[in-house]
Amino acid sequence: MKNLIDKVIVEPLREVVRNFLDFLPHLLTGIVVFAIGLLIAWLVKTLVIRIIRLLKLDASLARAGLPEALQKLAVRDTPAKLIGRTFYWLIAFIFFVLALRVMKVPVIDQLLERLLLYLPNVFVALIILIIGMLLGNFLGRAALIASVNAGVKMSSLVSRGVKGLIMVFALVMAFEQLGIGRQTMLAAFTIAFGGLVLALALAFGLGGRDRARDFLDKKFKKESPPGGPPDDLQHL
Amino acid sequence: MADQAPGAPESGPARLPDLDQVDILIGVPSFNNARTIGRVVQAIDAGLAKYFPGLRSVLVNSDGGSTDGTTDIVRKASADLDAFLLDHRAAGFRKLVTPYAGLPGKGSAFRAIFQIARELGAKACAVVDADLRSITPEWIELLVKPVLDEGYDYVAPYYMRHKYDGTITNTIVYPLTRALYGKRIRQPIGGDFGFSGRLASFYLEKDVWQTDVARFGIDVWMTTTAVANGFSLCQAFLGAKIHDAKDPGTDLSAMLHQVVRSVFDLMEEYAGKWCAIAGSESVATFGFVYSVGLEPIHVNLERMMEMFRLGVKDLEPFYKTFLPEDILAFLRDLASRTDRDRFIYEDEAWVRTVLSFALAYHAKRASREHIIKSLTPLYLGKVASFVIESWTSDSEAVENRLEELCLSFEKEKGFLIERWDGKA
Repeated sequence: MKNLIDKVIVEPLREVVRNFLDFLPHLLTGIVVFAIGLLIAWLVKTLVIRIIRLLKLDASLARAGLPEALQKLAVRDTPAKLIGRTFYWLIAFIFFVLALRVMKVPVIDQLLERLLLYLPNVFVALIILIIGMLLGNFLGRAALIASVNAGVKMSSLVSRGVKGLIMVFALVMAFEQLGIGRQTMLAAFTIAFGGLVLALALAFGLGGRDRARDFLDKKFKKESPPGGPPDDLQHL
Repeated sequence: MADQAPGAPESGPARLPDLDQVDILIGVPSFNNARTIGRVVQAIDAGLAKYFPGLRSVLVNSDGGSTDGTTDIVRKASADLDAFLLDHRAAGFRKLVTPYAGLPGKGSAFRAIFQIARELGAKACAVVDADLRSITPEWIELLVKPVLDEGYDYVAPYYMRHKYDGTITNTIVYPLTRALYGKRIRQPIGGDFGFSGRLASFYLEKDVWQTDVARFGIDVWMTTTAVANGFSLCQAFLGAKIHDAKDPGTDLSAMLHQVVRSVFDLMEEYAGKWCAIAGSESVATFGFVYSVGLEPIHVNLERMMEMFRLGVKDLEPFYKTFLPEDILAFLRDLASRTDRDRFIYEDEAWVRTVLSFALAYHAKRASREHIIKSLTPLYLGKVASFVIESWTSDSEAVENRLEELCLSFEKEKGFLIERWDGKA
């Protein structure tokens, strides 16, 4: 009976304790590595924020319309803080991976290997999204100002359309990069974009037929526009 | 008369085979001005014959590659001096037709003229637009004589214009340059100027010929460079200025962008100088000043006010990034006024608006092009307000009204200086 208890309970328990004691140094090393990583991440974050402020990169990013875009995404951080925070989490993540490696758990090792191979795609997708956001914001504002100056009453709509279109482009490209629903995304985008163009063509052709004729007449026949003669003001 | 058409040089002045030194050089930049340039050349010919008969003179047509026969007309055009001068010299006036090198634009055309002036050692020079319909021989006298006889380096034009002509000049460029540089030059972007050979050489030394100055903005650049660098200057009253009809499709926003951008860029360059200047002083004016009639002209006020309202509504989030809150509140209030008589864009608010745009441009608070182009609806609001205020006024009353605006700019200059270096 004693032998049975030793064999069924005590031995496995000893084995578990031995394994745990073997693993304990690795675990502690992992925790220490991660803690050091967090400290380094914090230092890098502080340094990055200071450098950005010193080089006045905040102003450059503001020019590109980043703060506005971030506010719309409910991100309240300044661009400098956001970049600093990104560095923090990047370094923290690297040290987390390092800590897991140090612990030498085979299953985690395999998972990490696959994850690390996939990470560059995530990074590229993020960059595509950020560029798309900046470009969309810039061109959306350019379209808004040009439309207002041309007296277009739906200027905001034009601006949002331009911005939205660029964001959709960026999103599709990001998904393409991540390999998520590659064919589906492409087909959905093609159908949606084609449909949009067709809808606009129909709307303009049916609803704005007279305006289109006026526009072409004005362009090619040099007739005065409807609504009376233009200003005689000489601005210069 | 002699005329030469040297080939386009890669750089530097045109070859001047038969010309030695000259006393007077008159430059005419052109591009497809066949309709008007003949008369301009005749006026120059007559002006030189009548007012400077004993001096050696040359006309330089700096052409941008016209395809409508502009240069042929220049070569052939001459005034029938017997018809209006009792006595005149038979020779001495020469013509040089040359294509200019460099970036396409009026600035590059002027550069070619400056180079030839330096090459020929011209004592006095003048440039006049090729699309003028109102030029007379007296313009040549008025632009050249202050340089030759009085020793001035720069002669700015002073025209009598309809009260609603030159609204960009009247509401932005004149009051702002006057407040900045302290000289009351009424038409800083007039287009027709007189200058000394010394100043032409100074212009050439400036490293701006591969920038936007070469394409546009040369007028305000010439005026500001002369003022900011302490050259002696005066104005010449040339009478009415009538251009050839402009293309009605010319985009106001692009025009405003070019002019305002040039002024703002010059503010950057000469910040050290204008920060030290307070108030303004008048400059000597030559010529007999008279007023012109005020025939009614068509102004689409409703459209301008509508554009203003649209701009305030749709661009407010963008304006918020650089306009002070009190100005934004004023704009919202003005946009809500439906009664035309109450649509008054007060001077103080307008001055602060323009200066805030200049500060945002300086600090690069957003894309510089976006900043300036977003000024268009507000500018139209100010013009609409100005038209409403001065509908029944005569020229003198309008000038007095503009004087008030100029004084507001001078008064608010402290607002600009305080914020220029980012302290406030």
